[in-house]
Amino acid sequence: MIKEVITVILLVVGCFFFLAGTLGVLRFPDLFSRLHALTKADNLGLGFIAAGMALHIASPWAALKIFSIWLFTLLASSTSCYLIARFQREQEQSKNKKERG
Amino acid sequence: MSVLIDSILAILAVYLALQCLLAPRLTQTVFIFFAFGLALALAWVRLGAVDVAITEAAIASGFLGVLFLDALRDFSFTAPNKRENLEAVHDPLSRNDTKSLLLPRLALWLGLGLFLLIALEAVWKIPDGGGLTAAAEALLPESGVEHPVTAVLLNFRAYDTWLEIGVILLGLLAIFAVGGIKLYRKPGVAADDPLLRQVILFFTPVLFLFGAFLLYFGKTGPGGAFQAAVLWGAIGILLHLGGRPVFSVIPRWLGQLLLTVGLVFFLVLGFLLMAGGGALFEYPPAHAGVLILIVETLAAISIAAALTAIFANLNQMKKEEPNEIESTN
Repeated sequence: MIKEVITVILLVVGCFFFLAGTLGVLRFPDLFSRLHALTKADNLGLGFIAAGMALHIASPWAALKIFSIWLFTLLASSTSCYLIARFQREQEQSKNKKERG
Repeated sequence: MSVLIDSILAILAVYLALQCLLAPRLTQTVFIFFAFGLALALAWVRLGAVDVAITEAAIASGFLGVLFLDALRDFSFTAPNKRENLEAVHDPLSRNDTKSLLLPRLALWLGLGLFLLIALEAVWKIPDGGGLTAAAEALLPESGVEHPVTAVLLNFRAYDTWLEIGVILLGLLAIFAVGGIKLYRKPGVAADDPLLRQVILFFTPVLFLFGAFLLYFGKTGPGGAFQAAVLWGAIGILLHLGGRPVFSVIPRWLGQLLLTVGLVFFLVLGFLLMAGGGALFEYPPAHAGVLILIVETLAAISIAAALTAIFANLNQMKKEEPNEIESTN
């Protein structure tokens, strides 16, 4: 019973972070802050949901698999976030150079 | 509760499909298509077809997504007036002279209606017993594998899988025909970013291992050659994007061998089985398990090589066009 309550709480907290991240993507003004909202909040939300599901399934192997899914997602999403941000910065720098020159 | 989830998924899939068709800009179309693929994959999971769900997620959202993004980049960054260009590409049909398009549109709607009617009738006719499930499961001990989907794909209907590999190879040949085979061996530029390089180096063995797991796991559960091939193909695509194009590093004959080995082995095996007095792809039950594993591994290698080559060629084709114009001038 207590386990189920904790699972539900973890899932709800995870969903809340996903919602917050989505709201950030929709409302924030520029690409960098949107990326920040998307990667930070969504990864945290996914972490909570993964923890909730691991607790729900309650088998050490499945928990390990779920945990590694979360780790891989963290790695992939932060890398793509970095690449997008770097690309945007390069675009802006070259634009500034053109305007100055 | 499950009915609620299913109906939300069904409505979402149809809504996303409509949005995908009606979106005003190509960028939106591509990203809604990703979401649509994801909704479809979830729908397949809800229907209990995990195999199809993995394939849908891997090929439709993953591989096609990469190709779409690549095409999108060519549209938006090589074209000088990007906004205008995108719109001109996307809706020349909806604005300019609608009258001359009346007939094609009518034909399209009629065809679509007919197709829907046929599909509805087919759904109506599915027998209650689940069609051929019972027949497939009855013959499972003879097939050499324990998962009915794999048994159908690689034993009972191996013919289909064999030709599917052929279709992918044919697609690659079409790309060669359009882009020219000379693009095959252009060395890429090494990725200048240390982080990207490290991440690619980290993901390469992980993807390989997971692909091999899916391939072997296909014997007893959802998974198999196509799913493994997409993961292995992803390695090739990642390496290509990271500046290490696989096909320019390995010798040409090896590349061609990798591309064709699945199809050729299938063919040779089929003929040997026929020469031994059986039908095409009628494996002897005693060796069926081993044979299927070999066929699946080689097929996965070939499909992965073909997917990598498709991406590499499409990616290079666009990059090199400006250079070629400069050099001819």
